[in-house]
Amino acid sequence: MKKLLTGNEAVAEGVIESGVEVVCGYPGTPSTEVILTLLSQKEELGIHIEWSTNEKVAFEIASGVAWAGKRALVTMKMSGVNVAADSLASVAYSGCTGGLVVFVADDPGVSAGMPEEDSRYYAKSMVVPMLDLASQQECLDYVKLAFEISEKIGGPVFLRSTTDISHVASDVEIGKKLKLEKREAHFERDIAKYTKAGAAWCMAQHQDALNRLAEASKISDSYVTESGIKVNETQFEDGSKLGVIYAGAVEGSFKEALKKYNLKLSWLKIGMVHPLPEERIKKFLEKVDRVLVLEELDPLVEAEVMKIAYLLNKKVKILGKFDKTLSLIGNYSFKKIKNALEVLLKTKLESGQDPKILERAKELEVKRPTSFCIGCPHRGTYFALNKAIKNLKYKKDEIIVTGDIGCTILGMSKPFESCWTEVAMGASIGLAQGFKWAGIEKPVIATIGDSTFFHAGIPPLINAVYQKVPLTIIILDNGWTAMTGFEENPGTVNLNGVTNTKRVDIVEICQGCGIEDIQIIDPYQSKKATENIIKAIEYPGVSVIVSRRECALQAKRKKIRLPQRKVNIDKCTGCRICLSSLACPAMVFHPKDANNKAYMEITSACFGCGLCEFTCPFGAIEVIKDGK
Amino acid sequence: MESNFYLIGVGGQGVIKLGQIIADYGLKKGEKVKFFKEVGMAQRGGPVHCEVRIGNIFGSRIPPLSSDIIVVMELSEGLKSLEFIKPGGTVILNRKRIYPIDMMAHPEKYPQDGEIIRLFKEAKAKIIWIDAGRIALEAGLPIAENIVLLGALSFISSFDEESVINMLRKHIPRELDKNIAAFRAGYETAEGMDK
Repeated sequence: MKKLLTGNEAVAEGVIESGVEVVCGYPGTPSTEVILTLLSQKEELGIHIEWSTNEKVAFEIASGVAWAGKRALVTMKMSGVNVAADSLASVAYSGCTGGLVVFVADDPGVSAGMPEEDSRYYAKSMVVPMLDLASQQECLDYVKLAFEISEKIGGPVFLRSTTDISHVASDVEIGKKLKLEKREAHFERDIAKYTKAGAAWCMAQHQDALNRLAEASKISDSYVTESGIKVNETQFEDGSKLGVIYAGAVEGSFKEALKKYNLKLSWLKIGMVHPLPEERIKKFLEKVDRVLVLEELDPLVEAEVMKIAYLLNKKVKILGKFDKTLSLIGNYSFKKIKNALEVLLKTKLESGQDPKILERAKELEVKRPTSFCIGCPHRGTYFALNKAIKNLKYKKDEIIVTGDIGCTILGMSKPFESCWTEVAMGASIGLAQGFKWAGIEKPVIATIGDSTFFHAGIPPLINAVYQKVPLTIIILDNGWTAMTGFEENPGTVNLNGVTNTKRVDIVEICQGCGIEDIQIIDPYQSKKATENIIKAIEYPGVSVIVSRRECALQAKRKKIRLPQRKVNIDKCTGCRICLSSLACPAMVFHPKDANNKAYMEITSACFGCGLCEFTCPFGAIEVIKDGK
Repeated sequence: MESNFYLIGVGGQGVIKLGQIIADYGLKKGEKVKFFKEVGMAQRGGPVHCEVRIGNIFGSRIPPLSSDIIVVMELSEGLKSLEFIKPGGTVILNRKRIYPIDMMAHPEKYPQDGEIIRLFKEAKAKIIWIDAGRIALEAGLPIAENIVLLGALSFISSFDEESVINMLRKHIPRELDKNIAAFRAGYETAEGMDK
């Protein structure tokens, strides 16, 4: 049976077919939908699926499951591997008994702002085999394969995706569910394997990990999946001395170019990017004298190909990133791949759209700056924060506000332009302390969302208390991990009020960490919120503001309705102060009409946060009562 | 059948839903399908686009000059699709402007309709100019602009009407009658222009 599945949905299907008993992870584009898909079937599946507080915790849970002999999958975006890395490196040395697969999705082309980090280096540095996904079908097939390899070699396996695989849907052949024998949870005490006490043990573990790598390479090199996909595959074209070596998401466009331009050249597909199939690459290089290496992000395969060519002592022209045929930056469009093939073939294949048309279109393009959603509580927080800064007689460009990951960072954009920095989960609080120690005398403020705070904001908070660093931390608590699609976090109030989890309160955490000045504000009550933020900034120690209001999109789904606002056209002067202070998407400005009257309109999309009322100097914004 | 559809607009217009229906239609016809979507900050008023490729083609993204049909749900966003229109292909231009906030007070900064049309003509596209908002309103469901455009696209691509309506039944079970009315009205509008 064929289904239209995105890469991430296909991974979820693979998980279902592999007899996995525990799935955990932390949301992050482009990896999130694996767990979202599984969560939507949680009841039928009867397995444990959770959003953990961060990737490190998620990985440790999965490791415990695998050490007890069962199968576990953990998911994260590439930035998440940085968080999980400490434990990952250690477990990779120890190995495991049950299948342990780490699904990581890289984001070449940056569909969600973060560094274009290449997670394949982790596979190398941690001595862990890594499969690189090239199609949606592989997403399903390779989950099964990854678990098979993991259990055969007795160690964790990376399964790496990229945005153009994870977020594209394709027709995927659904396979059969694996019938695993029932396993009892069992963990054998073996401190030489499961602890790191002593050089001899650690080095023995290192050797074990290297042996596992070699075995994984052996299994995968000739492996053909259920649906007929070869993990590594070589195709020689008689009479051609040209070749392409590729890995990952470039496959589709490369194969399309082969067909479209009827190209005759040899190619080598690499499905396991660590360790690389050295023998296979060697045999390939023996038959070609000009090779293009296609891989997104860093020249990891390319460097190895160069090394092998050197050891082979054969003069092969290798095209890729080192000679600047291809870029280190961004995902590879068809055009980029076609251009690289033109370099390989030394001939022009096709020219694109008339550059004059494209140039003109670019000039005319309309920029669409992103703003907070209608009713977003963060709008209220940044509005109040800016007001507080102004009332304290500071200029906005005098007060450093360190921002953090998630929706809260939109406070950097117009019209607020509050946040100055965005580094990594939880980093706003550490950075703020650095600014203080560096000698910034004016107040420094850190803003952070609830999920980000749980994830990595608590250790730097404790540090600030212990080191007595005077700063203000604003925790924007909207109750959800909203940016990635409304996942739950430990602070989420469950939708139905029925839950098998216990809610953890941010205020209590702060109290427990020794914060003496904590205030809870409602970002919709702008006047009061501004006063409280002023007090917090004036406080001589570490002060915390918890700005608490549920994400408006989620509140709307729960059918929470607040009184909407309207504009009294007689009072409205068309000054647009409301629009320029809030950039609310529910507002529409009408330029001068036939009556020579310009005015604002608040559309029916209004959620009723009421902030606009605080902005209007003419009192023209009113509450709609009884539909009027 | 081997076709490429490029669909573009802004958040909230139903661009992705339109793509889902076309992709599922292709799958039901037993074809291979690729469906790419770029959502980004759509919830927050940002641009949205998706691409549907039906047939034995491999990449997930439409190469330049290869879109048989482009549906532009918001006029200025259509400028981003010029690279992809196939000479002789069709662009369905929805007569709809959505001003970003900083342009609301200066609508004169928004590109002229005529200039957008001229660029597509220079790119050798056939143009279907359609007021999907008005047609959807007449069908009794103002939000169904995307379904009106699906109607026009279905006429141009010779989609089998019954199968598309089955897709509507599956993907938008609510207000089905009005959606079917919007679909038919779009279909007939494109048909009328063809005569």
